[in-house]
Amino acid sequence: MPTTHLAPSADLPSWAGVLAVLLVLVSLGLLVVEMRRRERGGVAILASGMLALLALLAAVLRPVRIAARESVVGARVVVLADASRSMALKDGGRTRREARDKALESLGKLGKDARLLVLGFGDGPPQPLAVGDGASDANARAPRSDLAAALRALAIAPDERPAAIVVVSDGRLDDPPEDASPSTFKALTDAMHVPVHVVATTREAPADASVRRVAAAGAAVAHVPLPLRVEIGCAGGLSCDELTVTARELREDGPPALLATGLAHLKDGKGTLDLTVTLERAGSRILEIAITPPGGDTIPENDRRLVTFNVARERVRVLHVAGRPTNDTRALRQWLKSDASVDVVAFFILRTPADNPQATQEDLALIPFPVDELFSEHLPSFDAVVLQDFDAQPYGLEKHLPALARYVKSGGGLIMVGGPNSFVAGGYAGTAIADVLPVGLDASPGSTAADTAPFLPQTSEQGRAAPLLGPLRGVVGDELPLMPGANVLGDVRTGGVVLWTHPTRTTKSGAPMPVLAIGDIGDGRTIAMGTDGGWLLEFSALGARTSGRGHGALWDGLLGWLMRDPRFEPAQLELATGCTGGLPTTVRAHLLPASPGGKPDMVTLDIARLDKRGAPLHLTAPRPAAGATAPTVELVVPPLEAGGFAARMRVGSGPATRRDFACEAGGDEWADSRPDPDRLRALATAAGGTFAWADDLTTLPLPKPTVVSAERHVVPVAPPWLWTLLAALAFGAHWFTRRRSGLV
Amino acid sequence: MLPAVKGAPYVVFLALVAALALALPRPARAFGDQGAFDPRSLLVGGQTTAARPTAPARWSWELVQRTSAPARLKPGTVRAEDPAITDGPFVYWSGDAQVPALTAAEIAGLRRFFALGGVMLVDDAGVSAEGSPGPFSKSARREIARVLPESTPITIGDEHVVFRSFYLLRRAEGRVAGTKTLDAIVRGGQAQVIFSAHDLGGALARGPTGLWEQSVVPGGDAQRERAIRLAVNVAMYVLCSNYKDDQVHAPFLMRRRAMAPSVLP
Repeated sequence: MPTTHLAPSADLPSWAGVLAVLLVLVSLGLLVVEMRRRERGGVAILASGMLALLALLAAVLRPVRIAARESVVGARVVVLADASRSMALKDGGRTRREARDKALESLGKLGKDARLLVLGFGDGPPQPLAVGDGASDANARAPRSDLAAALRALAIAPDERPAAIVVVSDGRLDDPPEDASPSTFKALTDAMHVPVHVVATTREAPADASVRRVAAAGAAVAHVPLPLRVEIGCAGGLSCDELTVTARELREDGPPALLATGLAHLKDGKGTLDLTVTLERAGSRILEIAITPPGGDTIPENDRRLVTFNVARERVRVLHVAGRPTNDTRALRQWLKSDASVDVVAFFILRTPADNPQATQEDLALIPFPVDELFSEHLPSFDAVVLQDFDAQPYGLEKHLPALARYVKSGGGLIMVGGPNSFVAGGYAGTAIADVLPVGLDASPGSTAADTAPFLPQTSEQGRAAPLLGPLRGVVGDELPLMPGANVLGDVRTGGVVLWTHPTRTTKSGAPMPVLAIGDIGDGRTIAMGTDGGWLLEFSALGARTSGRGHGALWDGLLGWLMRDPRFEPAQLELATGCTGGLPTTVRAHLLPASPGGKPDMVTLDIARLDKRGAPLHLTAPRPAAGATAPTVELVVPPLEAGGFAARMRVGSGPATRRDFACEAGGDEWADSRPDPDRLRALATAAGGTFAWADDLTTLPLPKPTVVSAERHVVPVAPPWLWTLLAALAFGAHWFTRRRSGLV
Repeated sequence: MLPAVKGAPYVVFLALVAALALALPRPARAFGDQGAFDPRSLLVGGQTTAARPTAPARWSWELVQRTSAPARLKPGTVRAEDPAITDGPFVYWSGDAQVPALTAAEIAGLRRFFALGGVMLVDDAGVSAEGSPGPFSKSARREIARVLPESTPITIGDEHVVFRSFYLLRRAEGRVAGTKTLDAIVRGGQAQVIFSAHDLGGALARGPTGLWEQSVVPGGDAQRERAIRLAVNVAMYVLCSNYKDDQVHAPFLMRRRAMAPSVLP
């Protein structure tokens, strides 16, 4: 819109202009006082004096004409809309997201003169928010509702500073927290120096009982009782004085295992319950904390929480059972005892029924082998069981083999070390243990239990790539000692990996016979070592050349892999963005660098529900080429239903690495479904803004628009010399008039 | 009882039985005897035979008869400078004469053996009936001191695991009763060199005729039995290390010690 107006010359300081006007006014006043005393010629003198003063003023101000093109610009208003998962909760017939979008629509109408920038806040800096039916699923997915982070991001943004901020939310925020003080709110908004208005989407809490929070006192350590504090909430008029709380561990090998249960007493809609659980297995373990909800509960999804614990180990507890004392037994025992992080409970069979010690029982330092006690009562307390050259039949282990197999499937580790009493010769073929070993055992007629011919084990291609053989290969390279003989083992099972093979023997399928193989079974892992010559890595020409370090290096890798030591995993898996049921998630794998010249491999990721429901997902991606120092692969997993999952990643045909994770229906965002308008009101008060309900925004004071000049032309009304000349002439005329009236 | 058949049917039956027997899974034979206890006799200097050459075989035989441990029934000899000294975790050094100074190669070989964790039993075959050490004992200790200069022998009594690794023993005995204790060089918590001044090999030595080669004094056959038990314990210590020191054994062994007669030879 073009406009024109006059103004003093731009080179004149404003104080000088004001001073000139004041002096002219004073002079005019004096002139009027003087003229009151005169009886003749006063009008002419006054008129000429006034004219002279005006001419003088014009000469000082030198007026210019300004022609400008101006426009009205609406004030910039940033709308921070809650984009967290809690906005997907339903209040009555509609979701909070719908209430939010309705409020945004009303804001758009109310602030038609303002420039509204609608951003969604959730986790981290705010992002542009698409509003509309087509985007309904996408704009209420954030796993958190961090308003503080959004406000901080706005404060430091280089963009135009807004004239006002409007927050649209249900008030159930992660930050600022529920118990935030007014000073916290003030500190949060002071940096912006703009009012923060607040629009609350939700008035009433839904009828809902939920597990609001699960907190663990310290880190989870295997075999160590872990105190849990469970916070239970009940709102929306539900009657829940007492609620039963259960803690169960989700397992792949069977139904969830009940770890603890208790009764929570609620007062004023809140209650806490302390439970103590003991997780026996290290690694990522998933606990389900659930309540039995009262009738009328409208949000069943938050009746249970799935919490993933990364269970650490203080010490590795190993049960070492040897069928007879040999050099191999000696070497393994000494290695186990030399590791301060390993707690060994050992039982060696020193005397068989056929032996005649020629002494009474009192003269012998022998104790009964407590097989029943060990393999029933104490078995879960061990992280790994080593059966070394041990015959299951004479010592009553046979009846415990099903329990031992269940122990493995539920997360335990098992190593069977070869010898004349191991594998088929030890009576394990056809038993439950045979089902969990990584190799098949063949006891059919005509089969052979052992091959007594010395042999040189061959490291397989997978063995060369497997991190668990890295320490051994670092000591001995490709060389291995001549082994005294081998247990005859069958083909590797699905999911197993052969690390060493026999140079001449083959399995029924024609594949080289496994000598050392590893495998994942259920939640656990097993290793089959079909020879009793491991000690030759210590006492042999090779052992002498390598100072015997090969034996320890081999077992360091084997036991480390069995215990899921990250050093021996082919990859480290993590969820890049957490997992919420019904939403896609990203699994990130940090891989070991590929060996130079190695053939390109595919990375495969298999994701299966722990409860075995549904078909597993199978994803693949190319492995980063050799040369990448920290190769990382990210795979986008399609939406999963809520529950516990096991992700297994494999590079090529190498061993798999596993990580269990949980997807929750609503997660933290749904744990407490109550809206919190009081928190929003406190925020508005601290930030000098206004609080309004989403269905009535008329009280919301949006800032007025501002006028902006787009184009400006400045032209002097007359040149300065002309103003000076006019002033001189006017003063001359005034002087002449005064003289004629007898004044000077 | 076999079925009452005659002629060809009976042969066929036997053939079927034989075929069935062949078809059944054959029990695994031992993977050789490489991992078994092997009391190799150590030879040094110009020595060509051990002082008690028949003792190691008897030692193995007794071990196999009495325990579950496998043992080489025909143990060999090994020279200190032979690279094969590191092929097994145990050597038996017995002598009845002064030991010549070990050569540099012999010292190096023995050091490699000990560095791998090997165990040596030094047995004085020349000890007198009264228990006075023979010339071998002093010279062997001198040479071992050259091999392991940083280590000093200490006395080990019945509190040591060697005395309870299979049998519960109150004292050490061999061909002679000698002192109740043994001496040992302990490295890394393990008795790597065990010194016996009892001629343990003398009590074990048995000729091809089946007769004991040496008489045992003063206890006779009972003392020989206790000497054999000590030898079995040494073998078990080599194969099981300090297994009997594990906490799980402690209450049993304490109870049996308490029940055993307080006065023993």
